[in-house]
Order: sequence, then structure tokens, then C-alpha cells
Amino acid sequence: MSATADREIVISRLIDAPRALVFEAFTDVRHLSQWWGPDGFTTTTQVFEFHTGGEWIFAMHGPDGTDYPEWISWTEIVPPERIALLHGERRGDPNAFASLITFADEGAATRIEMRTLFPTQELRDEAVEKYHAIEGGQQTLGKLAAYVAGLVRTGGAG
Amino acid sequence: MARASTTSDVFNAIAEPQRRDILVMLQAGERPVTELAQALGMTQPGASKHLRVLREVGLVRDRKAGKQRLYGLDARGLRPIHEWTGGFERFWNARFDRLDAYVQDLKQKQET
Repeated sequence: MSATADREIVISRLIDAPRALVFEAFTDVRHLSQWWGPDGFTTTTQVFEFHTGGEWIFAMHGPDGTDYPEWISWTEIVPPERIALLHGERRGDPNAFASLITFADEGAATRIEMRTLFPTQELRDEAVEKYHAIEGGQQTLGKLAAYVAGLVRTGGAG
Repeated sequence: MARASTTSDVFNAIAEPQRRDILVMLQAGERPVTELAQALGMTQPGASKHLRVLREVGLVRDRKAGKQRLYGLDARGLRPIHEWTGGFERFWNARFDRLDAYVQDLKQKQET
């Protein structure tokens, strides 16, 4: 086990479409607004500059009226292979975390892999809880997750 | 079979409310079995049995301190549950579901 394993989350998905098309869905706010927000959410974009060093500043509006500020800055864009980005709540967010999304041909389909490395294990656990909260609607699981996260933190210190 | 899974599976181990009570109490720090049993209204053999199950799934560790044996939290065993309930991963999986549906739409439009 490497030291990063506790701070990293890797998510992989096969999508039955050509790589160029899958990549395209990440490049334009017109596309992103269609799939980025959870069901029942809308997004309002203030800034969208899809280039290395550019930013996407937007808010996700939840069905219960809660607004979630989001800030993304692209650190590397290599069409149609990879996108590296920083993800936080606002510019300069000290808790921002880095994700690398890679796109690989797999026959006629495309394998997306997203590796997210959090600065600390605590921030990783916080993100696990935060996104859980955003998704909502799973009270019992949410409570269990919070309970488990509390235990993990306490046990991790010992 | 059911007995075996209780001692080998962390999900089963924390399904028992008294074992969760023990875990919550151990959050505050190490305790000897006598103290745990007293605080939680269990018999000492009962508490020992729960502690053995919790130790076997990696949720609790013990060490000798003088004449006493102290039990403490070993949260490494909770990692599988943490991962399973993990909101971040499920959030992104749901997002990739929507991406998939959207890209299928795009593909269809391109083909027509």
C-alpha cells in the first residue's frame, strides 16, 4: 500500500461511444450543464474558460434551494486523452483537490478513469461526506457514513 | 455459516447494537473490559465476546498495560464500510451515468 492510497479515490467507467465524443462532453458548458449537476439540480455558470489555466466558476442549485459554489481550474488539457483539474469551492480554496481524468479507447468504447488525490486523508473523508450530503435523500446511509467517518478519524489518530 | 460471517465480516460485526455502543465508547480512548461492561450494562463475559468479534474484524485492538488489558479503536477495519457509504464515489458514478446517457444522445444525433 502506498502512502497515497488513503488520500486517493479512483473511479472508472466504460462508455459506449467514441473517445472524441466522450471528451467533447467535457469541453463545453453547453454539454456539461446537461450532465454535471445531480438530478433535480440546475447550474448557473459565471465564468467558463476551457483552456489550461482557465476557470469554470459556477453554482449548483439543489432542489431544496441550497446553493453549492463550485470552482474548477484546468491544469492540463490534452485532447482527447486527458484533463487535469483542481476542484474547490472558490478560487484559492486551500481545500481544493486535484483530479486527473483520462480517456482511453477500449474497442469502440471509451474507458474514463478519474483519479482524485486529496491533500490529506481528512480532506478525503470530508469530501466523501460532503458529496454524500449533496446527493441527499439517503438519510440512513448518511448517518452511517458520518458515524463511520467519526470513528475512522478517532481511530486514525491512535 | 451465519456464525462464521459474524466474525469475519465488518458489516455484520457492527450490525449488533451493543458492539456499536462499544465502538462509540472507545472513541473517547482505551478502556479495560470491566469498565466497558459496567458503563454499557453488560456482563463481563458478554462484553469480552463482543470485543473478540470486533478484534477479529480489525475494529478493535488490545494491549497489556500492567495487570490490565486495554481495548482501543482500530479504525482500519471500518475502511470497507467507509468506502461503501462513500458519497464522493457514488456522486461521481451517478454523474458518469448522466454523462453516459448524454453522450448516447450526442452519438445518435451525429448518426442521423
